[in-house]
Amino acid sequence: MRRTSAMAVATIAAAALTLTACGRNDAGSKATETGKDVSSGKATGTITVWAMGAEGEKLPALAKEFEAANPGAKVNVTAIPWDAAYQKFTTAITAGTTPDAAMVGTTWMGEFAGNDALDPTPPAIDKSAFFDGAQKTTEVNGTSFGVPWYVETRLVYYRTDLAKKAGYDKAPTDWDGLKSMAKAMQTKAGAKYGMGFQAGGVGSWQSIMPFGWSNDADLTKDSGKAYNFDSPEVLDAVKYYQSYFTDGISDKAAPATPTTEPDFKSGRVPMFVSGPWMMSAVEKVGVKKDQYDVMPIPAKTKSSSFVGGSDLVVFKKSKQRDTAWKFIQWLSDPKTQVKWYSSSTDLPAVKSAWQDPALTADTKLAVFGKQLETAQAPPSFPTWEQVVAGFDTEMEKVTKQGADPAAALKTVQQQADSIGTGQ
Amino acid sequence: MTGMNARGRWLLYGVLTVLLVAVISPFVWMILGSFKTQGELLQSPPTWWPHTATLDNYTQLFSRLNFKQYFFNSTVVAVAVTAGNLLFCSMLGYALAMLDFKGKKALFGVVMGTLMIPGVVTFVPLFVLVANIGLIDSLPGLILPFLAAPFGVFLMRQFFLGLPRDLLDAGRVDGAGELRIFRQIFLPLAGPALSTLGILTFLGSWNNFLWPLVVAQQEKTYTLPVALALYSTGQNSTQYGLLLAGATVVVLPVLLVFLIFQRRVIEGIATTGIK
Amino acid sequence: MSTTTEVTPRGETGSTSPSPRAGGAGRRPLGEGRAAWMLALPFCLLFLVFTAWPVVQSLFMSLTDTKSRDLRSPFSVNVIGFDNFTRAFADPVFRKAALNTAYFVVIGMPLTLGIALAAAVALDKGITRFRSTFRLGFYTPVITSIVAVAVVWRFLLQEEFGLINTVLGWVGITGPNWLGDPHWSMPGLILMASWRNFGTAMIIFLAGLQGVPYVLHEAASIDGAGAWQRFRHITLPMLRPTLLFVSVTTSIGYLQFFEEPFVMTNGGPLNSTISMSMYTYKQFGFGNYGYAASMSYIIFVVIAIVAAIQFRLLRDNT
Repeated sequence: MRRTSAMAVATIAAAALTLTACGRNDAGSKATETGKDVSSGKATGTITVWAMGAEGEKLPALAKEFEAANPGAKVNVTAIPWDAAYQKFTTAITAGTTPDAAMVGTTWMGEFAGNDALDPTPPAIDKSAFFDGAQKTTEVNGTSFGVPWYVETRLVYYRTDLAKKAGYDKAPTDWDGLKSMAKAMQTKAGAKYGMGFQAGGVGSWQSIMPFGWSNDADLTKDSGKAYNFDSPEVLDAVKYYQSYFTDGISDKAAPATPTTEPDFKSGRVPMFVSGPWMMSAVEKVGVKKDQYDVMPIPAKTKSSSFVGGSDLVVFKKSKQRDTAWKFIQWLSDPKTQVKWYSSSTDLPAVKSAWQDPALTADTKLAVFGKQLETAQAPPSFPTWEQVVAGFDTEMEKVTKQGADPAAALKTVQQQADSIGTGQ
Repeated sequence: MTGMNARGRWLLYGVLTVLLVAVISPFVWMILGSFKTQGELLQSPPTWWPHTATLDNYTQLFSRLNFKQYFFNSTVVAVAVTAGNLLFCSMLGYALAMLDFKGKKALFGVVMGTLMIPGVVTFVPLFVLVANIGLIDSLPGLILPFLAAPFGVFLMRQFFLGLPRDLLDAGRVDGAGELRIFRQIFLPLAGPALSTLGILTFLGSWNNFLWPLVVAQQEKTYTLPVALALYSTGQNSTQYGLLLAGATVVVLPVLLVFLIFQRRVIEGIATTGIK
Repeated sequence: MSTTTEVTPRGETGSTSPSPRAGGAGRRPLGEGRAAWMLALPFCLLFLVFTAWPVVQSLFMSLTDTKSRDLRSPFSVNVIGFDNFTRAFADPVFRKAALNTAYFVVIGMPLTLGIALAAAVALDKGITRFRSTFRLGFYTPVITSIVAVAVVWRFLLQEEFGLINTVLGWVGITGPNWLGDPHWSMPGLILMASWRNFGTAMIIFLAGLQGVPYVLHEAASIDGAGAWQRFRHITLPMLRPTLLFVSVTTSIGYLQFFEEPFVMTNGGPLNSTISMSMYTYKQFGFGNYGYAASMSYIIFVVIAIVAAIQFRLLRDNT
């Protein structure tokens, strides 16, 4: 049996080799694309839109209003689970079975655009209407593909009652202040750990890089042609982050599943860095609204954070391109954005939508709104996920084993250089 | 109970009971958890019995889900895949175990080779293929690629190898055709193996997630696991209560199938082996 | 009852020996070879349509520098021969993953199969009542959603309040921080995987045990053979084809070990639980299709070698 299958493998391999020796027709660095205009008048025809999770469930109701305003148009929304949504998109792109439009994660943009699957944003859409950091997530190699739909950013959550005990009435605004506060939470307010930083591992860049960006770090160099991890700015941030672990303010052996919410409620860990969804999450486990607050990421040079969320795109294969863009344009209207916020609690990506009373009424939300003005997105290189996985691994060594931050960043940079930007 | 005294038997029952408790506790926790609130599910340390039992998770699930459609899709796919595997795998398994023919070794090599290739590597090419022959967004697209799994062929072959070959020779002496020998003599003896294959195949098909997700272009072709995943996990958060309620709903038909097929295993004892 | 010698399973060698041709060959409507291929036809057709081409394409992919962006024109890529393979062998994470996988298989497989066989024998011959209750109970880990499993097991493996460490505490042992300590994370996952998978092996063993005639046991115990002797000399040899099946399929599953670290540790802490399959999966996720395909085929070759060894070891030696 072994011999037979080995032979079969050899034959097949040989056949495959003779099949092709074409090689890749290297396009090199692609020229900047410009979006085509969208026809004027009402939208017509049927479009299919993919959206994930709760968005996919709630979008049809909103789409009805679009259909009412455009009697000739129909929007079919297919809801897709977040689990494995990425695989669904990549296989659909490969087989050419993409929908007309879709909601996509901000970090996928580089790859999908690199696959030549996305239609460039038409000039009629005003790019300055969106938060700058969010708009940047749609730009790949100088071309904008799609628009930001909704956004999120990371802030420091803290228990106000415990902060008072620790002697803090007001949130600190610089790095040293934050660390002293976390320390005081331990010494004066009975916390086991002052700050719930993630001890490296998957996604930890999302809580480390806000500090890097608050120190003016730029993750690209050579005018956006290469990664830049071993800059002094990033190094400062990593050293600062590491000091929480070496000083015992953050837990080195944090469990595989963070117990953020219960620890926040019990006061065991009264501070952490996370996004807007955590407000309802901590309230669900019984933290009262007046028991906690959020503060911007403290500044070294200027306060900044990570901006995430989802973008809306139109696929090149779409036969209803104009209608798809009209739908997206309609979704980006400030009024629609506010309506969407009230049905989904997704934060608007359009700046002017934040003037609406629905959003200004909540003081915590206002802090998110303010942070969004300066929040930044990682570079939209197709290889970002791979490169940042290396960063996460190295950060695990830095936090858990006390590895040298400079050496760790050098390793990350070497890996990043050998992987390349993928553009 | 030859050769085992009463004390030994009690000891065995004791050991098995301890093992049973250890083994089923997560299952029990899953069911109990489906009646808990998100807040309670996030508590540390976790609770066993729901403090504030709620049916919320189930009412949410059923009100948001086009349950009938998804249940129908899942059932059609799982039943078709199971039936196909029972038939086709026993056919080839029998041929590989009992018959002599040219290319037998190579064919067995192909079966084993297919069994050993990690599915992730052929996933994308298979999807492109299925898309090209127009099976996307259809139930046949969910069924056909899984109709004859090498796992089942291997299982049936091994089982038939354990049956006495005399039966084959006896059948030939009686003048029965090869296919009739298979159908009327060997297949009825394969009860335990077919039941086992049925359980495993049904379970695998019922729980399959990635393939139905990718093949379905509209929600009307979704299967139960795909639909359930829709509401339980968000981009940054997981609704544990919904997730556990969904998992409980999904597992019930599997339990039923297990009970039905297991009975066949016991019945099989009477008819198998040496009479 | 008189045919006890003939029921011995013939294992591998049996299938190669020419079958005795019964008399009256002329009356058979269908030749043996034709009949065999007719029985094989559905599988072969489905194989040719749905497996052969994807395998060829993925094999080709493993010899190229295919990235996700090339998938739409899969043949306009650069053929780089075995570069992906040499790169994998030099990749420190892949080597670490290979060691982890070996660790997992070498400890996990005997543990799983041992428990499964013991449970199957106990349920088949040891007890008479509550059989179906036990059978169903032992099978529940297989059908419990991996999400529930992950939540419960994280609780079981917790350092402070974890059930396992509490029990260890009763006998004076201070349990480790299972999932947080790179030395203990893998043993924790092995425990969990054995728990999750022994039910499948058990029901296959149970089916195989139905083929062991009870009369043999009866005859042997009249001859004064103890329970262990009967197991060793009657049950085990009769079970050989089943044993081969279970050990081959379990080793295939375990060498592709993926789900447990995926939901429990994501490969951490410090890559102590990353497996070959998981690393491969990650590379697919990064869009490095050529590289990931070559790693898949390395796993394939390892599986084939391990399976071949098992076929040799468990071959009928009569």
